[in-house]
Amino acid sequence: MPTFKLDGREISFEPGETVIEAAWRVGIEIPHYCWHPGLSIAANCRMCLVHITSGRQMEMPQLELDEETGEYVPATKPKLQPACQLGAVEGMEVSSTNEVVKKAQAAVQEFLLLNHPVDCPICDQAGECKLQDYYQEHQGTLKRKLTEPVHKPKGVRFGPTIVYDAERCIMCTRCIRVSDELAKDHVLDMRERGDRNEIVLAPGRELDHKYTLMTEHVCPVGALTSSDFRFKARVWFLKSRPSVCTGCATGCNTHADYDPRNGKVYRLRPRDNPDVNEFWMCDDGMMTYTRHDTDRLLMPTAGRGEERTPILEGDALELAAEKLSNVESSKLGVVLSAQHTTEDNLALVKLAQALGAEHLYLAALGGWEGDDILRSEDNNPNRAGAMRAAGGVALKPVGDLLTDVQSGSVQGVLALGARTAERLEELAPLVVLDAVVSLTTHVGALSAVAAVAIPVADTFEIEGSFVNEKGMEQAFEPVLAAPIGVEPGWRTIAALAGLLGHDLGFEDLQGLRRGLGTEVEAAQ
Amino acid sequence: MEPADELLEEESALELQTEPMRLNMGPSHPAMHGTVRMVLDLDGETIVNLDLQPGYLHRGFEKSCERGTWAQVFPYVDRLNYVSPMLNNVGWSLAVEKLLGIEVPERCQYYRVILGELSRITDHFTCNGASAMELGAFTPFLWLLKVRDWIWDILEKETGARMTHSFGRIGGMAAPPTATFKDDLRAVIPELHKVVKEAEIMLIRNRIFLDRMQGVGILTKEQALAYGCTGPVARGSGVAYDVRKDHPYMVYDRFDFEVPIGEDGDNWDRFMVRFEEVRQSIRIIEQAMEQMPDDGPVNVDDPRIVFPEKSDVYDTIEATIAHFKLVMEGLQTPKGEVYSFTEGGNGELGFYIVSDGSGTPYRVRVRPPCWYNLTACREMLIGEMIADIVPTFGSINMIGGECDR
Repeated sequence: MPTFKLDGREISFEPGETVIEAAWRVGIEIPHYCWHPGLSIAANCRMCLVHITSGRQMEMPQLELDEETGEYVPATKPKLQPACQLGAVEGMEVSSTNEVVKKAQAAVQEFLLLNHPVDCPICDQAGECKLQDYYQEHQGTLKRKLTEPVHKPKGVRFGPTIVYDAERCIMCTRCIRVSDELAKDHVLDMRERGDRNEIVLAPGRELDHKYTLMTEHVCPVGALTSSDFRFKARVWFLKSRPSVCTGCATGCNTHADYDPRNGKVYRLRPRDNPDVNEFWMCDDGMMTYTRHDTDRLLMPTAGRGEERTPILEGDALELAAEKLSNVESSKLGVVLSAQHTTEDNLALVKLAQALGAEHLYLAALGGWEGDDILRSEDNNPNRAGAMRAAGGVALKPVGDLLTDVQSGSVQGVLALGARTAERLEELAPLVVLDAVVSLTTHVGALSAVAAVAIPVADTFEIEGSFVNEKGMEQAFEPVLAAPIGVEPGWRTIAALAGLLGHDLGFEDLQGLRRGLGTEVEAAQ
Repeated sequence: MEPADELLEEESALELQTEPMRLNMGPSHPAMHGTVRMVLDLDGETIVNLDLQPGYLHRGFEKSCERGTWAQVFPYVDRLNYVSPMLNNVGWSLAVEKLLGIEVPERCQYYRVILGELSRITDHFTCNGASAMELGAFTPFLWLLKVRDWIWDILEKETGARMTHSFGRIGGMAAPPTATFKDDLRAVIPELHKVVKEAEIMLIRNRIFLDRMQGVGILTKEQALAYGCTGPVARGSGVAYDVRKDHPYMVYDRFDFEVPIGEDGDNWDRFMVRFEEVRQSIRIIEQAMEQMPDDGPVNVDDPRIVFPEKSDVYDTIEATIAHFKLVMEGLQTPKGEVYSFTEGGNGELGFYIVSDGSGTPYRVRVRPPCWYNLTACREMLIGEMIADIVPTFGSINMIGGECDR
């Protein structure tokens, strides 16, 4: 592999790579605003200027102030190159830290702050803002301009998800490029020039494609803010844990940002994974975190239909076990869930095997549009994992369960998860059965028809893994603590099995995974 | 010579052989200035053995430093030797500035010297005044504390607080000297001279005082060196070590001053060394006043180190960002470790700091001069009488806040 030298350090590069890209791959950050590894090169922010110290030196004429005479005299200065556009060349020597470059960085940074409003105290970006970071690192001087800064529109609604502040904008065009290149929708563009520059919508349009939140995500400053996250939290109070999106079968890798003080997730951010989602996520995926708190089942409930009464824990599992033991095992229908982890499903399959239940179904969601960018046609995060857990046994759809109940071949149901494509009215045949037990994270159609519904922990609260549509097994760790008294699904299933007189043969998650026969790749 | 003394010379004429007795002195005892406990093994009234047990004032100072920013350590150092907090402020500023490799403007260095020396005078006044009071001489104590209050008036005017100033800053001071600073000093300096003289007149020919101080609590030069004693304790024993002289920092090499030393290493020498140091401190202050420029910057010119003016923070984005970064992430220091030491009220006050390159100290270790002086206290007291504990322990000037941290 060819190499070049950056600040005295040898860096190898693929032919065709730029200096900034090769440095980024080995973990060196050359300061930049407009460059993004997933987007085309704009080279307009001028922050990544570097000095090529080898070869023939290019000089630029300039006037320099002679301190003694007080007159400007002709002089030259080295010509700098933007590292984002500069192709790496074998043996080239580049400096990103020498005095010439430092001066340029400070000057660029000062220019960018020239008309910037004093918004840090009310800006959502404060704390993760490149302007703040680079000011501290590369500028460190106070304001020299004494005139009023240029004023531009603030709080412009770009669409249902994004609000734009032109004063904070540094015109890096990342949002334009992410719309053009990721969403393939040229809905944003720039107008005017100089300090009147502004990002605008295409006439008659709103920013409403499926990847609008990525414009906010790539914005290096606080110009684009998400309507959802706006004014909700201060980023320095948030902690971050790696997780996996539950929106569809792509299984985009995420950072879940939560506030440890109240145990609440405030947003998701895409986590770079070149094999799955590169740098991106879709809007629906970004918003899946809101599902966590919505319609949670926190207490076990008993009843029929939607009128339900809470039952004390402990009693609930015993009640479930009692009801299930009244059903002949060959007539017990077991419903796996494409929303739950492979481990939860595997524990349920083991219980079905121990009981000798023959009818296995799979509850899955539908009603969603895929695309050829990131969104899979299947909006269940773990259909492949549930099928893998079933170990080759054919999983019938929930529609078949209804037919089987009506024909009398199924007289009891043990279901994991509450979300299914079927509506509550369609599940009415299940209400006549006495032994319908639902182990679920949320309130949904399946839990509503259950005689006993028992809460289990949600994706954010457990260790587990999903298998995406490419067959990649992606493990994740808990982000939050589960509510008191709520256990992971696999543990609840093991406890239920114990009450039914069966030992499923595992003590912990590792023991359970051994039953899967594959090693699970840990989350980064 | 009194008859009892004559009898004493005949061996053990007055010695009453008694059963050894163990006695707890402190931690809560009027003579145990900063809650320290002494377990005494007594033969009659003579101390046979002595177990010194400090630590009752341990607050976890060093650990506390690891959870804030570098600047947030100032209120903690105020509470080390709280009798001379400004010296600690200056010591901490210098330590972090050494890590950063910066030097504050000259005006600030003089300002720090003057405020620090004022603090040293209050420290010595407190110690000597309390020593006299504990031996029954209440008047000099009141006189000294009266003048100490005048010094505190100056410090209050300059810093806003009489004791816990939190006035030091990394890269400067919280505020420039007030317009009347030098006039205030000129007004109080003659009073300092006067009160030292008056206190000495009251004490140095006082038979009771002399008997309790001279030849009591002896620490030899060798012992002082062996225990790592510094400051007035070491100098009382004849060790001419003063950080200001031997390793000059700030502008101390520009001043003409003496390092007083004692000969016998007894309470008397330590007492007299402190009074003489007050005179030397006044000399330093007088010279510093002459040399200190009346205008010019006090803080280094870098908003990444020193907080920008509040008016700028409200009006300009650059200052807002600098302020935000300094508050939220703290001053960024290079990775590394330094030991920086200054002459504190009780001797060499050292800060050993380790930085992992972040805005928070990775580790802070203080070399509290009291600690080493306190350990030597055992040598001074074994063989003495119980009553000698009071002046001897007083002459150590053990300050719990600094010793126990």
